[in-house]
Amino acid sequence: MATNVSVIGRTTRVRGRVTGDVDLQVSGFVEGDIAVGGDVTVDGPGIVGANVRGRRLVVRGAVKGDLVGEEAVLLEEGARVVGDVKAPRIAIAPGALVRGFVQTGEGDAAPARAPRAQAASRAAPKGAPAAIETRADKPAAHLSGANSAAPRRPPPPVVPALKKAKGQIAKKKER
Amino acid sequence: MASTVIGAGITIEGEITTDEDVVVAGTLRGRLSAKEGVTIEHGATVEADVVSGSLVVGGALTGNVTATERVDLQSGSRVIGNVKASRVTIADGAQFKGNVDMDV
Repeated sequence: MATNVSVIGRTTRVRGRVTGDVDLQVSGFVEGDIAVGGDVTVDGPGIVGANVRGRRLVVRGAVKGDLVGEEAVLLEEGARVVGDVKAPRIAIAPGALVRGFVQTGEGDAAPARAPRAQAASRAAPKGAPAAIETRADKPAAHLSGANSAAPRRPPPPVVPALKKAKGQIAKKKER
Repeated sequence: MASTVIGAGITIEGEITTDEDVVVAGTLRGRLSAKEGVTIEHGATVEADVVSGSLVVGGALTGNVTATERVDLQSGSRVIGNVKASRVTIADGAQFKGNVDMDV
């Protein structure tokens, strides 16, 4: 039986670490770090909610986390990546969406800014902008690396918080 | 044809939930929950509770098993844990330690 290729199928959800020294194909949902010595393919329906490390990474699905390729990272049409991308060779095809720090080259130094907080535990990529915005502990991140993307962000949803605060003040006055 | 394959050389530490067939030829620690068939191949190591439709074990399994259909422990397999299923077979040459509950 051909069990030298590992596949996380469409309806399969993995919560936890995936490690090994062979190739891996993700068509389902992985919430946990992937670190393999072989190639990693995240297919169209695949969703990964954590960091991915491998020799060659091919992404056609969604990844919320950092991508590190020892040889290359290929983001193909349909890819949706929120996270940093680092590899000697990086290809981003038309139709691929990326938001994060992208660095090619052999140097194994970490990206210039601080490593991202592990907001990646929540996996849905659409929720990502809000998650990044609410990182109040690192205001410098907006100023340094991601400046160009900042104006396009929607305003923070402050209205419900204000209403709640007013209500609490009113209650205090009643007492 | 299984849709999810944990190949030899792959280790998963955590929980797997699926509606498909699963073949494990590598290492799994944690929990495996499948609606269809699960095959643990010769050479695989599974340290997990397994809930499945049917289960075929050829490798090493440590953990409790609950299957809605059947459990087959093949010759050469090594299973430690309780097995609960309506049909259970243990082949000659399988190593097994645990309770068997056939829902009678």
